[in-house]
Amino acid sequence: MAITIALAGNPNCGKTTMFNDLTGSNQFVGNWPGVTVEKKEGKLKGHKDVIITDLPGIYSLSPYTLEEVVTRNYLIGEHPDVILNLVDGSNIERNLYLTTQLTEMGIPVVIALNMMDIVKKNGDVIDTKKLSDLLGCQVIETSAVKNEGSMEAAEAAVKMALQGGKTTPQHVFSKPVEDTLDRIGEIADNFIAQENKRWYAVKLFERDEKALESLKLPQGTLAELEKAITSCEEELDDDSESIITNERYNAIAKVIKACVKKKRGGLSTSDKIDRIVTNRFLALPIFAVVMFFVYYISVSTVGDLLTGFTNDTLFGEWISPAVESFLVGIGCADWLTGLIVDGIVGGVGAVLGFVPQMLVLFLMLCALEDCGYMARIAFIMDRIFRRFGLSGKSFIPMLIGSGCGVPGIMASRTIEQDRDRKMTIMTTTFIPCGAKMPIVALIAGALFGGAWWVAPSAYFIGVAAIIISGIILKKTKLFAGDPAPFVMELPQYHLPTVKNVLRGTWERGSSFIKKAGTVILLSSIFVWFTSSFGFVDGTFGMVDDIDASVLASIGSVVAPVFAPLGFGNWQTAVATVLGLVAKEEVVGALGTIYAVAGDALELVEEGAFGELGAIAQHFTALSAYSFLVFNLLCAPCFAAIGAIKREMNNAKWTWFAIGYQTVFAYTMSFMLYQFGLLFTGAAGFSIGTAIAAVILVVYLWLLFRKGYVEKPTRLRSVDTVEA
Amino acid sequence: MIMPLTFSPSGQPATVKEIHGKDETKRFLESLGFVVGGPVTVISQMGGNLIVNVKDTRVALSQSMASRIIVHQ
Repeated sequence: MAITIALAGNPNCGKTTMFNDLTGSNQFVGNWPGVTVEKKEGKLKGHKDVIITDLPGIYSLSPYTLEEVVTRNYLIGEHPDVILNLVDGSNIERNLYLTTQLTEMGIPVVIALNMMDIVKKNGDVIDTKKLSDLLGCQVIETSAVKNEGSMEAAEAAVKMALQGGKTTPQHVFSKPVEDTLDRIGEIADNFIAQENKRWYAVKLFERDEKALESLKLPQGTLAELEKAITSCEEELDDDSESIITNERYNAIAKVIKACVKKKRGGLSTSDKIDRIVTNRFLALPIFAVVMFFVYYISVSTVGDLLTGFTNDTLFGEWISPAVESFLVGIGCADWLTGLIVDGIVGGVGAVLGFVPQMLVLFLMLCALEDCGYMARIAFIMDRIFRRFGLSGKSFIPMLIGSGCGVPGIMASRTIEQDRDRKMTIMTTTFIPCGAKMPIVALIAGALFGGAWWVAPSAYFIGVAAIIISGIILKKTKLFAGDPAPFVMELPQYHLPTVKNVLRGTWERGSSFIKKAGTVILLSSIFVWFTSSFGFVDGTFGMVDDIDASVLASIGSVVAPVFAPLGFGNWQTAVATVLGLVAKEEVVGALGTIYAVAGDALELVEEGAFGELGAIAQHFTALSAYSFLVFNLLCAPCFAAIGAIKREMNNAKWTWFAIGYQTVFAYTMSFMLYQFGLLFTGAAGFSIGTAIAAVILVVYLWLLFRKGYVEKPTRLRSVDTVEA
Repeated sequence: MIMPLTFSPSGQPATVKEIHGKDETKRFLESLGFVVGGPVTVISQMGGNLIVNVKDTRVALSQSMASRIIVHQ
């Protein structure tokens, strides 16, 4: 018979590390039904029929956050055979709060007392035998980071399930509360299962909405319950939920007193670091220095070295010539050799050239995350982001998005409030990702003589787009209201572990590599075919003149749309549309279409802008910059659109996000080009200028109008809180 | 002395006296360990936002949240 172990615990208690320890690579990742909360399942190493379900990290089983609801529904509905509850030994008091709730559910519980290495280092002593007696369940010491005890804990859980063991909660609340719970048990006796009795009694006492919904109690019973609850509330002078919370903490305090001896007093090392790193004067300078190093190393030094190696040596000297000589050797047709060497190997290879750089960036961001600094960055940035309607937690997706938008969008999951999360998803891809940098480098190098300001201006445009969008969207009905108050647990600082950092880097980087292998592979073939074939004199065949190709005919249809932006020819239209496949394709496509000798993407990476004159001559400085702005801001590549769709979990919202981004990009480029023409004296006042002026007025109105205000009922409740 | 957590000097332990509001936020604060009678210590402040030590964990709080927690010293 298969056994299911549910892995439950607080956020930051080492749950993910233990899950990885226990299952190895044998994992399936999906979503919990109907929500974008990640669901991970895996088979326990060495046990074919034991499945471990990783529950979301939660602090309590109240019904307020998505994660809590998902966990509750799972535990009640699916009834796993045993719960393996991870408890962080270094802050055992808060962690046991969840434990007291888990033991009430009628499911056997085994506790893995984690982070024992830190507990011992701090000089604290925990009497696990006594703890086990007082909590009513087996306690096993573990240190998931060092891979100590995890397997023993899992095996204890399996044994518990096989023996059909039971966990009876040992904590007792004060007399008036226990009496009321007994009374509730009697009143609702016919409606609740015996094994869940304690759980439902407590939930009914708390007037838990979800529990009331699921039980469908008759009116008379409800009235009786209400009477019992109210009389207890009056006796203890507090609301029922707070009563239970306090009772739980009181019970825990007794347990702690009996079995934990704390050595230290005063500030811990982690707190001392925080006093410097999040100091009101030093926080921002320290943050700036850290970020400078992260980008300097990933872009300029190590990353550059690795990119050079991948492009020049790996693909340039080893793979491409080897493939070509092999194909020639077996007597392959010329066109097929062309397709494979130039189209596939060239196209995919140029994209893979970014991978090392991106992996180095992710490696460092993962190290920052694992050591605990990333959570502080969210705290530091919160004040600044709050001004335009986003929370500090929105900063992390954007930081990751500067490498690749896909993991960036996925990182928005940590934002609890729906509104804030949607807005973050919509604006994250405004930050230039690694794949957009070649476009920036091409325009800067080939059209602006390598001017220093072009690359920073791309980031500036991205940030400005986020700020403008934040302000505009916040004033609409959809997004009105303050960003959720910032509350976030900060993990203790610790040295990043190699295992965690590498795993995190791979999880983020792999989506990009997968993209290179699938979408980009197909599109490389598509571009090669459509640009090499066409109709000449009514017959279909290979063409020498690219103007006669199928690609040109497709492009000509789209081109007029871009005319007011300054790049209304089929070549740039095709390049822009191909940017949807992958942004670096914009450069590659321009190179192919304008017949640049060699691979345009590689030339840009090498900085050989002299050889890109064939592209440059088709642009003016103004139209090139307009082209750049449009491509930076418009809908992201398909991979990122897919990520938006997954995270929004709603087709309407996905289309809204992509539509907004594209309209925003179009209007910004429109204004830039039309006003640019006027101010540089290249053209006089025209209809285009007039339309641009109207757009500008609309934007100013959207920015400065009085925003939508939520219904007064809600405002009142906020007022009373602050009064 | 009784005051909102935002005014509590950093580094000095205080005791929670009251948590305002009867909404989800209050529950969330409670599950994080902010309970009446429990100790809290402000670790650092940045423009009104706080990092607080409560039950051996560090929690970052925005100003609007911290001002709901009334402490005495």
